[in-house]
Amino acid sequence: MSEQQAQHADTAAVELANVSRWYGNVVAVNDISFRLDGGVTGLLGPNGAGKSTLLHMIAGFLAPSSGSVTVAGAPSWRHPAMYRRIGLVPEHEAVYPFLSARQFAAANARLQGMDRAAADAAAARAIAMVELEDAADRAIGTYSKGMRQRAKVAAALVHDPSILLLDEPFNGMDPRQRLHMMSLLRGMAAEGRTILFSSHILEEVERLAERVLVIVAGRLAASGDFREIRRLMTDRPHTFTVRSSDDRALAAALLREPTIAGAALDGGLLTVRSTDFGAFSRAVSGVARRAQISLHELLPTDESLESVFSYLVRR
Amino acid sequence: MNGVIARITLRQLVSRRRTLLLLLLGGVLVLVAGIFRLAGEEARALRFTAGLLNGLGAATLMPLVALLFGTGAIGAEIEDGTAVFLLAKPINRRTVVLTKLAVASACAIALTCAPMLVAGLLGAGGLGDGLVLGFVGAAAIGSVVYVAVFLALSLITSRALVFGLAYVLIWEGLLAGLFAGTRTLSVRQITLAFADAFADVPEEVFDAPLAVGTAAIVAAAVLLIATLIAIRRLRAFEIAGETA
Repeated sequence: MSEQQAQHADTAAVELANVSRWYGNVVAVNDISFRLDGGVTGLLGPNGAGKSTLLHMIAGFLAPSSGSVTVAGAPSWRHPAMYRRIGLVPEHEAVYPFLSARQFAAANARLQGMDRAAADAAAARAIAMVELEDAADRAIGTYSKGMRQRAKVAAALVHDPSILLLDEPFNGMDPRQRLHMMSLLRGMAAEGRTILFSSHILEEVERLAERVLVIVAGRLAASGDFREIRRLMTDRPHTFTVRSSDDRALAAALLREPTIAGAALDGGLLTVRSTDFGAFSRAVSGVARRAQISLHELLPTDESLESVFSYLVRR
Repeated sequence: MNGVIARITLRQLVSRRRTLLLLLLGGVLVLVAGIFRLAGEEARALRFTAGLLNGLGAATLMPLVALLFGTGAIGAEIEDGTAVFLLAKPINRRTVVLTKLAVASACAIALTCAPMLVAGLLGAGGLGDGLVLGFVGAAAIGSVVYVAVFLALSLITSRALVFGLAYVLIWEGLLAGLFAGTRTLSVRQITLAFADAFADVPEEVFDAPLAVGTAAIVAAAVLLIATLIAIRRLRAFEIAGETA
């Protein structure tokens, strides 16, 4: 591998190193570091957590107060050339109301440097990708919120960017449109693009993101696969439901294990709380075997992103 | 210049309701000139026309039109959030500012100079020894300088309209009349100096206090400095996130 290839291989699509941003005395983003390279990443946090500030810094609209934000190896701030690689869907609802979605997408393509014919073709392709063909020639001012959102996504996709930044992209979309958009983004990520989207809706992130960045009060509270994040939190009990040939005997046997914080039989269902996900997972089959009990089902009950998020916010 | 930015800016500027008000204001100028013509006071036609083009044209219509177009050229997009679409493009910020400046100036010239021309022709009963074209030409120069100042102002403060109006009313309307030194930094006085230089009328009909040489230097300097400030501000323009 040549030195240049090695350098290219080491360059992340998006990289933040010890990034902070403050407004006067208010710290919006506090010492955040991460790198993104391909796939869908969800930026999760409550309103006001600093998600938009972070996205705006990556998009080159805000300078970091300290640290560095690089996109494809170059600083994002005051670097308009990087917009050839980036597609941006801002949270702001406002779109030029006098343009149609087709005109809007074509204008974005022209501003990316395409000639008229290429821009028109790219606009038609992007409009089809977001399934907005029927209303493509109507003024955006007449659109519903979900349609405006799709027009914005079409405009962001028109130059086939390798990095896509989306701020609350599913706002206003109906469930069908939401599913379609998720499938579109998944497909784009599968083609090697880097997609970062923010959301305060856990279900959206859980369904779409391969990786999660949880932002709480301006800090990166957790990052990685959300199930992995959950497992790393060993100081919080994990709850499992167990079905076996003898739930009562299994509960008694499990309670002798040091990693079991409690067990309860409620309505014929055994619920076990463990302080160590990994240790419990490894121990449970051995305990059942020694007690000559058959395990039928073992399910973690609190693996949802909601539980992870609630825990992080409380911490 | 960028054609796409120019077309979007033009549609944005002319589709606003405020533009209708500016058209009405221009109509008032023409209406007053028309009433004077109907009154048939030919003897003082030149003096009346000079007063009308100065008082209602250069002092009222020109700064108001330039204020709305200058602050709206980029300021309106920043205010409603659409600026994001423009700024997230691989386009030099200088191109953005110069395109916006050119379009806003063209709009301001059209909505200022056309009514001034019609009103001047009506009031003077013709070209009035160069008075009408002198004022129209000077208003075109004044409009460009005003627009540049107001466009830069919209990138410095979100209250550009208020500060712009304060400049027109307090600095130009009050201070420039009281203190001769402040006239040098008055776009209205610069405009009148050009009108005086272009027209060929006696001093008692119309006379500008500022010398045209000074006016030309100040106009060029203000235009250049305001444009450079606007480019510099847009290059470092920040769009805040939710917690700002």
